[in-house]
Amino acid sequence: MTFDPTSAPEQNPLADPEDRPAPPAVFVIFGASGDLTSRKLMPAIERLAVRRLLPPGFAVVGVARTEMSDDDFRERMKELVEKGGGGGPEVRHVWESFVGGFRYVAGDYDDKDTFDRLKDVLEELDRERGTSENRLFYLATPPSTFPTVINGLKEHGLSRPTSNDAFVRVVIEKPYGHDLQSALELDRVVHDAFDENQVYRIDHYLGKETVQNVLALRFANAIFEPIWNRRYVDHLQITVAESLGVEHRGSFYEQAGALRDIVQNHVMQVLSMTLMEPPVTFDADGIRDEKVKALKAVEILTPEKVNTQVVRAQYGRGWIGGEEVEGYREEEGVNPHSTTETYVAMKLKVDNWRWAGVPVYVRTGKRLPKRVTEVALQFHRVPHLPFHLKQVEDLEPDALVLRIQPDEGITLRFGAKVPGQAFRVRSVSMDFFYGAAFLEETPDAYERLLLDALIGDATLFIRSDEVQRAWRIVDPLLQAWETDDVALARYESGTWGPREADELIEADGRRWRRP
Amino acid sequence: MATAVGEGVPAPSVDFDTIGSWEADHVTANQVEKALSDLRRHEERAATRTSVLTLVIVVGSTEEAGEHLDVVRHLGARHPSRTLVLVRADEEASESSLDGSVSVCVVDRGGRQVAVEEVVLEIRGQACFHLDSLVLPFTLPDLPVAVWLPTSIPSRGDPLLETADRVVVDTRVVGYQPDALSRLHSISHRVAVTDLSWWRLKPWRNLFAGLFEGHIYRPFLNNVQHLEVTGHAGPRHLFAGWVMSRLDLPRSVVHLGDAEHLSAKLVATYEGRRGSFAVERKGDERVIDASVEIEGGPQFQQKVQIGEEWQSRSLADALGHMGHNQTYEAALEAALGLLR
Repeated sequence: MTFDPTSAPEQNPLADPEDRPAPPAVFVIFGASGDLTSRKLMPAIERLAVRRLLPPGFAVVGVARTEMSDDDFRERMKELVEKGGGGGPEVRHVWESFVGGFRYVAGDYDDKDTFDRLKDVLEELDRERGTSENRLFYLATPPSTFPTVINGLKEHGLSRPTSNDAFVRVVIEKPYGHDLQSALELDRVVHDAFDENQVYRIDHYLGKETVQNVLALRFANAIFEPIWNRRYVDHLQITVAESLGVEHRGSFYEQAGALRDIVQNHVMQVLSMTLMEPPVTFDADGIRDEKVKALKAVEILTPEKVNTQVVRAQYGRGWIGGEEVEGYREEEGVNPHSTTETYVAMKLKVDNWRWAGVPVYVRTGKRLPKRVTEVALQFHRVPHLPFHLKQVEDLEPDALVLRIQPDEGITLRFGAKVPGQAFRVRSVSMDFFYGAAFLEETPDAYERLLLDALIGDATLFIRSDEVQRAWRIVDPLLQAWETDDVALARYESGTWGPREADELIEADGRRWRRP
Repeated sequence: MATAVGEGVPAPSVDFDTIGSWEADHVTANQVEKALSDLRRHEERAATRTSVLTLVIVVGSTEEAGEHLDVVRHLGARHPSRTLVLVRADEEASESSLDGSVSVCVVDRGGRQVAVEEVVLEIRGQACFHLDSLVLPFTLPDLPVAVWLPTSIPSRGDPLLETADRVVVDTRVVGYQPDALSRLHSISHRVAVTDLSWWRLKPWRNLFAGLFEGHIYRPFLNNVQHLEVTGHAGPRHLFAGWVMSRLDLPRSVVHLGDAEHLSAKLVATYEGRRGSFAVERKGDERVIDASVEIEGGPQFQQKVQIGEEWQSRSLADALGHMGHNQTYEAALEAALGLLR
């Protein structure tokens, strides 16, 4: 294989395609003094540098209100990285050469001067560090500031590339709007400044290896896809459970609730990947077209159906892992009369050829007995059991469980004969543990997604129409709950949710799995 | 920030618990296999087993066996499922004989106990020339077999190659042997080859390639005037061969020299400007300097740390890739051209 400069002018012939190195660029973080930068972004950048995936022409510019010099910023970033287990004396040289490309711009996001100075710094980095006029803007700020920052970038000519060879991209954190209307309004602001192909809406769930493994499992194996449909699957259960409460995010959570915080994004992403048809190509539009089609097939609930197919609930006091914990209304920053839901259980219908008649039961909540995310496909029972009832009393329907976190892997439940003179059949589980099978280390979700954004691979980011479809599914629930006519159930912390959620699924002759 | 061979972080301390072991002299392969099966019954209760591959190591003495088993153990959580060490103890012995030892260990992978197995066979006599017959009874079903020859390169007709899906060698160790690269090239047509030297060169290759990312630097690759690579025989040929094969460079622009550490410098022009691109390890400190100098344009340097645990890291990286590596094979072919 030799280099033909006329056929592939944009390819670096020396780059190893498997390594996916980032091109030269400036990574601009709005909200550089915030929590996300310290917990996720800087450690991810450090890991990318450690894996040699960042080129010499790479720079980081922090933008935030906090006053800081370039050196203060470098020192602070170094501390953050070391606090997270990175850095250290053995990598001193590398850190020193790398942070030479770190700059800081202090200022308000609604101040024209902030963007003027940012522009000067970016041009200086292009000249001095060879960052090639490429920009990746990251909005790690509160959602209320998104329009201000985006308008600032637009007004200063920073939202468009300066040449055909350069790129400008923007990564926008969730939540993307707080309902359908606000998401559409935010989209209008975003599209006024950026083309859709410049926009990378991030949901870190998609950066998880095991979420991506849903696609590998389904579309790289011949044995699963033939049974992945109404003919074999009785129903689906999606569980996103957390054992923690709202911790110190009480005031944030009061505005969000489980529906906005988890269902609209994480659950919808996992749901669409589970339901989607096989894509023609494994690229951004190939995958996202199919995800959108899947979401389009999900039933939009009427107000009446919200009452009968959705349960919202809030945790009360209880015990988790031998420790007594407070109820939601007693948490710091929470209104003592709050009606914010910390738990949602719902039954969804999917109106398409593959899934017609297969209900999808979703549940998510805080302060459940353990942290677990999984998708379970429960299969139909065999059409005729040639055994005496007594012989199969311990036999459950077959199930395939995709464990997304923790203990990432796959479990297949099936029936096996119990050893002995008698003929008895009992369910057994066959477990595959993802982490035990591979020699490779797993990159962190942010690390993967930041690299994708730098490279320009939007496959694991959410497209505008995807966000809108997800809000369309969730919006009727928000509207119904606004009136407070819909009952708010209560559940004890440390249990798997309220009785009403059990009744929701038991009414169909089924029951929740115990993850 | 760190960059190391592999992932740039120190190798984790490896907690190996031996849950069962067996050894005996003058045994048959069947007896060793039975001992392994008996021990595995314990293993199935003690730990998860998720098999990855069978790694076969061929060495000349029990000391070497211990040394290379240590390297494999340092892979820690990235350990293959079964390691079979074949010790050619005495090829001259008048009678063939076999001493065997087996151990089943558990290693902690993120809180989960995963089982790995080690089999060491000390071989004497004519059996030393029929190692393939000792490999086959011990391979895990349906999984790839990697044969690691730490200090030699087999000939193309070696029956051991029949058992291997991949041969692991090291041109850093054998590069000074006059026909090493040509033998390697010859066997690469028969079986996929992993060269630990190639993986050890990865930081240099990554860093060097990174210098040409972006539209300012990439066009310089269209007009290369001079490429100078210094280092040990073997690695320096591979590196130069890699650049030559990727850029289709003529032999005349490539210059090689002997040095303790690898360095590479490429000089090229674009739109009348001269650009110099270099990667270099200056001293014993485990740091590579990368630099770009463009007339009237950007000039900068980057340092990258190269980590410890060379052999286990490069082995782990290498074992993660089981197919033919076309980039390596093209580099090897170009490297052969440099020797002519």
